[in-house]
Amino acid sequence: MKSGATRTLAPVVLLSGIAVLAWYLHGQPGGRDLSFSLLAGAAFGIVLQRGRFCFLCNFRDFVEKRDPRGLLAIVVALAAGVAFYHAVMMAWVPVPQPGRLPPNAHIGPVGPVLAFAALAFGIGMAISGSCLSAHLYRLGEGSPSSPFALIGAGIGFFIGFLTWNPLFTLAIYASPAIWLPHRLGYTGTLLVSLALIAVIGLLLLRFSGNPEPAAPSRYDLRGTAGKLFVDRWPPVTTGLLVAIISAIAYLRVAPLGVTAELGSIVRTAGSASGLLPDTLHGLDLLRGCATVVKQTLLSANGVFVLGLVIASFAAALAGGQFQPRRPTNRDVGKGLAGGILMGWGAMTGLGCTVGVLLSGIHAGAVSGWVFLIFCALGAWIGMTVSRRLGKAAPAA
Amino acid sequence: MNFLRRAGVLVGAFFMVGAAHAAEPLVTADWLQDNLEKPDVRVFEVSVDTGVYERGHIPGAVHLDWHTELVDPTRRDIASREDFEKKLREAGVTADTHVVLYGDNNNWFAAWGAWVFNVYGIEASLLDGGRKLWEAKGLPLDTAAPQYAASEIVLPERNDDLRARFTEVLDIAEGRKQASLVDIRSNDEYIGKVFAPEGVKELAVRAGHIPGAENVPWGSIVQEDGTFKPAEEIKAIYAAKGIDGSKPIVTYCRIGERSSHTWFALKRILGYDVKNYDGSWTEYGNAVGVPVVNVAGTVWTGK
Repeated sequence: MKSGATRTLAPVVLLSGIAVLAWYLHGQPGGRDLSFSLLAGAAFGIVLQRGRFCFLCNFRDFVEKRDPRGLLAIVVALAAGVAFYHAVMMAWVPVPQPGRLPPNAHIGPVGPVLAFAALAFGIGMAISGSCLSAHLYRLGEGSPSSPFALIGAGIGFFIGFLTWNPLFTLAIYASPAIWLPHRLGYTGTLLVSLALIAVIGLLLLRFSGNPEPAAPSRYDLRGTAGKLFVDRWPPVTTGLLVAIISAIAYLRVAPLGVTAELGSIVRTAGSASGLLPDTLHGLDLLRGCATVVKQTLLSANGVFVLGLVIASFAAALAGGQFQPRRPTNRDVGKGLAGGILMGWGAMTGLGCTVGVLLSGIHAGAVSGWVFLIFCALGAWIGMTVSRRLGKAAPAA
Repeated sequence: MNFLRRAGVLVGAFFMVGAAHAAEPLVTADWLQDNLEKPDVRVFEVSVDTGVYERGHIPGAVHLDWHTELVDPTRRDIASREDFEKKLREAGVTADTHVVLYGDNNNWFAAWGAWVFNVYGIEASLLDGGRKLWEAKGLPLDTAAPQYAASEIVLPERNDDLRARFTEVLDIAEGRKQASLVDIRSNDEYIGKVFAPEGVKELAVRAGHIPGAENVPWGSIVQEDGTFKPAEEIKAIYAAKGIDGSKPIVTYCRIGERSSHTWFALKRILGYDVKNYDGSWTEYGNAVGVPVVNVAGTVWTGK
């Protein structure tokens, strides 16, 4: 296929396919949520790919090159998302009463198991080269390690289900789901969250290596097309778009998350084959990226991830960023090993950088902040050890 | 004279407190749409799927949480008078308010709500067809939680004439009391092929039904769109089973919520003398030493 067709025709066909599927789903009984989730996933995929919104890559850019742009996009996404989420939560639950949580919000149990899960997740993303959401959009860029990271994550989920019951009776049963508005009210939560995020932002800017500014481009057809389809979107734009998608997804269907479907598939297969315990204590009562034994083929999270993968592929094609490469043994090994750690961490911590960190902090959940701290620590440990071993993590 | 006047006040007060607003059992979606703005109409949503109410409810509807507000969250019982009264006061319900309930899952839990309202002296209406029909008609939904000026309503004590307890059901099963038992679960549960529908957690360790119970699955009195069949048809369906309202009736299911739906049809639509047995099969089927009919003969093996 000629480059022109690859970069224009193929993305148009892919996105049209999503549109047609969304239209079809909308007409099915109970299909409104599915249709919305598919479109939200597509929007999220495009923003992730165009903004290179990858938690690990952004973290590494800052640690290794003092380039704060990627992390600033995350900071903007957190701050704006906290504000947007509060607009929704304050309409739904006007008074934060004890014992009541906003429906479906990812307010997970806070305890040592969460910290450990986040740490494992962070190490896993450093080994594999991305977090799970980024592996999903990097599938569309032809990343050689991403398919193996996702397979590894499936294995990690399986191990997570096996270790769930002992961990639950050991500690999770006593881990409280702490929602900041219960303690600080909505105003206090907004102020504290925004202050913490501002401190992170200020530190990033203070230690910034002052990266080269992007070359100015003209506001004509060619310049704008280049900005939109080829150049990386600026951090503030990316962050705001992520926050908007997060809040609208919460308003309409469920908080953002990318692991529920993967976990559900593993759980369904594991239960059906008798390899997983019949009862996973308390799991279905906890808040987060819920894994359920599947009753229907299509789920909201499943079509969300489907939209994400297809649309990010379309965006990568349009930007000329689909560059597949034959995976080396090292790609396979790193993908699988990192994926297993991430899968175990995402199962045990009830989500990943999107489901727990982003959706949790947006909702005023302490679990989101705990995940942020320990996941960053894990990523830092993983990167440092990799460097010491003389093997730099694969380029994203 | 003074005595008579005082007695009159007392009787009046009794009716204000006890009888409250007597409403038509069912209202249509169109009627509700036209009457939403009326200050004496108060709509409650009783949906059990999380986030359903918050993501869009009938404008002005108040949320009633089945797991915490319509039952006692600690002991297995309906909501206490104090808690329920507090909730109704917050929602601005007075003795003159026309309460309308609706919900997801075929109005099952809304019907439980209507039963609890009735136990506490308020005859509530159900939105026929529930949430599903409202959505199917494309009628508007709202996401904001409404605020109403608090009322001073005082609820009467529970009306036990609407509620059957275990000992009474046992008396019927063992022939010491004359009444018709209606088991509204699926036929598979009734004849004892299965202990419970697939996927539910609350179980009984015995399969089958209470001796003498007639099986009329709840769905047999409901039309395709979720609305109740016409009263005459419901009457005929029950008459064919020998239940014509000449004897008191007790309805039961597994946990008492689907049977509220049938209780509503028999009591409120047909006007029969009906009690709902909220202990239902999860109480009776777990009780020690009570008679059970298990046609299929399925044995509990703990698996």
